[in-house]
Amino acid sequence: MTKTVILIQTIVGGLGIGSIYALVALGYSMVYRSMGLVNFAHGSIYMIGTYFGIIFYRGMVAGIHLPYWAAFIVGVLLTAILGVLLERLFRPLANLDLMLMLLGTIGVGIMLDNLAIIVWGAEGFAVRSPLPSKPILVGGVSLLPQMLLVIGVGTLLMVGLQTFLSRTKVGKAMRAAAQDREIASAMGIPVNFTNAITFAIGSGLASAAGILAAPIVYVNPSMSAAVGIKGFASAILGGLGSIPGAIVGGLSFGVIEAISAGFISSAYTKGIAFIIMVLVLMVKPSGIVGETTVEKV
Amino acid sequence: MLLEIENLTMQFGGLVAVNNVSLNIQEGEIHALIGPNGSGKTTIFNVVSGYYKPTGGVVRFRGKQISGLPAYRITALGLARTFQNLRLFRSMTVMENVLVSLGHHAKTRFWQHVLDPFSVRREEERLKEKALETLRVMRIEQYADEQATSLPYGLQRRVEIARALATEPTLVLLDEPAAGLNETETAELRDILLQIRASGITVFLVEHDMKLVMEISDVVSVLDYGKKIAEGSCSAVSCDPVVIEAYLGKEGE
Repeated sequence: MTKTVILIQTIVGGLGIGSIYALVALGYSMVYRSMGLVNFAHGSIYMIGTYFGIIFYRGMVAGIHLPYWAAFIVGVLLTAILGVLLERLFRPLANLDLMLMLLGTIGVGIMLDNLAIIVWGAEGFAVRSPLPSKPILVGGVSLLPQMLLVIGVGTLLMVGLQTFLSRTKVGKAMRAAAQDREIASAMGIPVNFTNAITFAIGSGLASAAGILAAPIVYVNPSMSAAVGIKGFASAILGGLGSIPGAIVGGLSFGVIEAISAGFISSAYTKGIAFIIMVLVLMVKPSGIVGETTVEKV
Repeated sequence: MLLEIENLTMQFGGLVAVNNVSLNIQEGEIHALIGPNGSGKTTIFNVVSGYYKPTGGVVRFRGKQISGLPAYRITALGLARTFQNLRLFRSMTVMENVLVSLGHHAKTRFWQHVLDPFSVRREEERLKEKALETLRVMRIEQYADEQATSLPYGLQRRVEIARALATEPTLVLLDEPAAGLNETETAELRDILLQIRASGITVFLVEHDMKLVMEISDVVSVLDYGKKIAEGSCSAVSCDPVVIEAYLGKEGE
């Protein structure tokens, strides 16, 4: 294998994992820009969302075995509903001080993690991919079918979200409410409703990420911390509160991680990715594509 | 009576910002609310438009009690407002700013974007035409596709009014629309306000520019320290010694 082939293969792998980070980062950024709330329970929502889909795929609920795509849809919808409930729970915190809000979301995150351990046990399981496990060879580059599925569906979801926000009236109302909730409500927009939709979409995307990643990673309750922190770092790297930023941040984080694992050392993967994040923020504190100020009135 | 404010009191801790104020607005008039800084004018606006829940009294709009309702519901009933400081949606064009207010008039459902894109397109065209009409009233239709916050200050103020008018109100509350405008711009604003009234929309106005107030208002109410101290036609109010005292202080002091 030539160096270029290895590089391409590494980058594709990075884009796959990066799509997962991007989908998770979108949840952080959407909620932050609409409510000014950093939702530290988001990693746990990702984990619960993964279980919500996979338990139907593996027949863990009353013996129901759903095909992968159906389990995916059920999981995403259930997690979106969970998101709506959490928005209602966090709503009073959004107007209080930062410290309370932070503690509130961390608390809910711990609660969700422990609920998962009680219900599904602390030890996890591997999930079989619905696609063949034999890699596809394209010009010498071998690609895992599930990884291509992750990238494909991930791209579809990101494009879909962008279209939803810029084209539909609910999407436009969400953008307006995110910028200035007072003005938005003066223009007839029910801000609590748009916030609930924001939470639902953010949570649904996290669940989608988790269910897509499940056949590649190992599913267990502690996955909330690992991916939660990387998704958050991705959102910050791209510019917290920015939708394109979350996507760019997630993909770059995944690629940086993959390259450092492939070419330097897999032991330092995380360290290198976070060091690059810190360096980028030192040069451009608002993130790669972040607006210079996210005004909160 | 279009708007009835009855014994309204708004207290913040120990501070009584509005003290037992009653005020009625007739359909079709331009009603100005004036008074020295800190006399409670904007507080009244905030109560009427649903941002504060009054500590006493009620507000009725077309006979229906609206005090205590959330702001978006009040807007949907036909009461729109602008704000004192410029707060346009950044990163949106003038047109998009106005379209946001037209949102609840849109008849599209989001699944139609996938299943029936043509009807979505038609509905979008209809709303755009409506938005353009509002921009024409404000005489800013040529800036429709400009970034709203890139316009000069005077025009941005007009975008704000356009945005409020796009909610199709019967009553519009304007908080200092002439603030920061030069003489030409103020003259144009005067014509626009008269045009708004002529189109059947009632205007409730907080304004410091006395020349403008005296030129266009049908009724003027005067606030001082949260209390209504006078009300009547422009000439009656401007000769009222109580009003003159509130603005200029007592003679011989």
